[in-house]
Amino acid sequence: MNKTISIKNQVELSDIVENYLNPEYIYIPISTKDEILVKVGAKVLKEEPIIKRAREIVYSSISGTLIGTTESMYKNNILTTCLVIENDFKEKVYNKKGAVKYISEYNEKEVLSLIKKYLGDKSINLSAKSIVINGIDQDPYERTYSFLINNYCTKILEGIDAISNIINATSTIFAINNHDNTNVINLTNHIGTYPNIKLKLLSDAYPSGFQELVIKNTLTKKQINEGFLYLTVEDIYNIYNVLKRRKPITEKLLTLSGNSIETSKVLNVKIGTNMSDIIDNCCDIINDKYFVVTNGLIAGHTLSSLNQIVTSDVRSIFLNTKNKELEKKCINCGLCNIKCPVGLNPKFIKDHKKADRSKCIKCGLCTYICPSKINFKPYLNGGQDE
Amino acid sequence: MNNVYVRGNTSIKSISLTRLFLLLPLIIYGCYKNGVYLYTSNYINLFDMFRPIILILTGALIGASVNLIYEYIIRRRKESLISAIFSSFHVEYGIILACISSINTNLFIFVICTFFIFLISKFLNNRINIIAITFIAIYLISTLKEEYIFANIYELSKTFSLNFLDYLTGRAPGGIAGTHIILLFVALTGLHISNTNKSEITMYTCISYAIPAIIYGIIRNINVLDLLFLNNYMFIFTFVATDSVTSCYSNNGKKLFGILIGVLTFGFYFLNPILAPFISISVISLLNNLIDRKVGMFLKNNSINGE
Repeated sequence: MNKTISIKNQVELSDIVENYLNPEYIYIPISTKDEILVKVGAKVLKEEPIIKRAREIVYSSISGTLIGTTESMYKNNILTTCLVIENDFKEKVYNKKGAVKYISEYNEKEVLSLIKKYLGDKSINLSAKSIVINGIDQDPYERTYSFLINNYCTKILEGIDAISNIINATSTIFAINNHDNTNVINLTNHIGTYPNIKLKLLSDAYPSGFQELVIKNTLTKKQINEGFLYLTVEDIYNIYNVLKRRKPITEKLLTLSGNSIETSKVLNVKIGTNMSDIIDNCCDIINDKYFVVTNGLIAGHTLSSLNQIVTSDVRSIFLNTKNKELEKKCINCGLCNIKCPVGLNPKFIKDHKKADRSKCIKCGLCTYICPSKINFKPYLNGGQDE
Repeated sequence: MNNVYVRGNTSIKSISLTRLFLLLPLIIYGCYKNGVYLYTSNYINLFDMFRPIILILTGALIGASVNLIYEYIIRRRKESLISAIFSSFHVEYGIILACISSINTNLFIFVICTFFIFLISKFLNNRINIIAITFIAIYLISTLKEEYIFANIYELSKTFSLNFLDYLTGRAPGGIAGTHIILLFVALTGLHISNTNKSEITMYTCISYAIPAIIYGIIRNINVLDLLFLNNYMFIFTFVATDSVTSCYSNNGKKLFGILIGVLTFGFYFLNPILAPFISISVISLLNNLIDRKVGMFLKNNSINGE
């Protein structure tokens, strides 16, 4: 039985990545343990270290002035104290460095220290025998990874090749969506230069872009047991920038879509931008009764406030109306059980609070497929939202 | 905030319509066998030619009207007409019930039994197989008046010796649209492909009924084909036993559910061959939740609790 389903996406996106790189303010979440490296009122430069944490350093994504803190911003729906940097729109870069010619020439120690310095929380398993690169957008309504591959194809391949050579991987697999024709052609044209990278085309079905399924569909059990390194194309692009130019993450691509805006697009935005600024400046709203959802219409989360910060883990923003189909009594069809990609039984979990739900990847397929329109999300999220 | 923004196209309406579409060839054949053929052979008059389709449409109308009464009058919901009609599987139940009923069924008994049992079923929280219970009621009330027989007027007037091909092509006596085994197999394949049927239940029911039936037939020198194909058994195992609402949904639950129905049907065969599958389906459908829960846990099936 096929555990994935084909979802026809009728949203058409503009082919060009639009930029929203001049927000008036950016916001950097802080906690009590953070060491703030710049004083209030001081000038900051783009890519300048602002906060030092135990495992990472946070950099400014714009140049401007640190004007203080605010407590009105949310990060992943949690009210968070943030540093506020006012943009001077000069984009002056801190400690500008020249590009390295061959990024494959780094040794393991150098790579680790650079990644720790610039990408902090991204851990790299150097003993991995296999590498899996996920180039498939998680949600059928997202195009972030697809645009990233399309725009930075050679850089991404160079980045994968470098990581593969540095950790001496025996197998390097780049998984992409088989219906992503532009990228299939693009990658096929360039991949000949990198013989150690294997292109794996996965079916255009939901939820094949989820980490667990990409790993399951690309690696053998033996490869999984031997140890592997899983990275997304976005990780690879960020690693490439670190190795090539020692550039921290200051910008990111995200999909802006939904049935309440006129034109769906992929945006390039600054990390730390307020989402309400993006909505105000980049959306032609056609329906006011929308909810704002991040990271997918099927598996994403509804935002409780528009004052949310764009962090590195935001892939998409949707302005969408709620599905108003009435929830009916369960008809016992078992579709949720048949289709669950990790073999869980959502109906059983719904009926039994103590049922094990730890394997759930929160793809939302059970809710999507249910003929009775039952919303399983609250039950599968550990019951905390019931 | 667990709002839902996008939904799949699968709904009770789409499942019902798919199942009814796959039932259509059987209904057409049933209307030919029990209507057109009898009329052209001068066995019945013009009005009786339409009797099979009248029964089937009556079943559909009763299902639809029960849904409308429940949604608009009892629950006072403001749904669209189509949405209210397909708010549950009762339209499909009505049609299936007509398909398994004899052409000789009294229309008044059919209407009264079906309407009241369907309406009551709306308040029973889907605990028992409605088609089976309604058929039992129709059968019992009908037998108060006269013997309930499946054969139509043509079949009654002849003495048959049916071979295997006759059974496959629906020439054996049975319900209005429940006799053509080849068309039934085509429908079952379609149901399986479209994911609108619990095919495992059909398979396990057929196997668990066929094995003892064949052994018994050989030992007692009885025509095995009669045991297997008469009285709509295959149709009932395909469309009635697999009723989504009152059957098991977990992998092992479906298997055990099918096996129990098959075995009980063989047991009840000696009590009443016509009612045997309906009694067993009614009894086992009462236990569907228990089977799903207990069997799934006992067999440590991956699909029941994910362990």
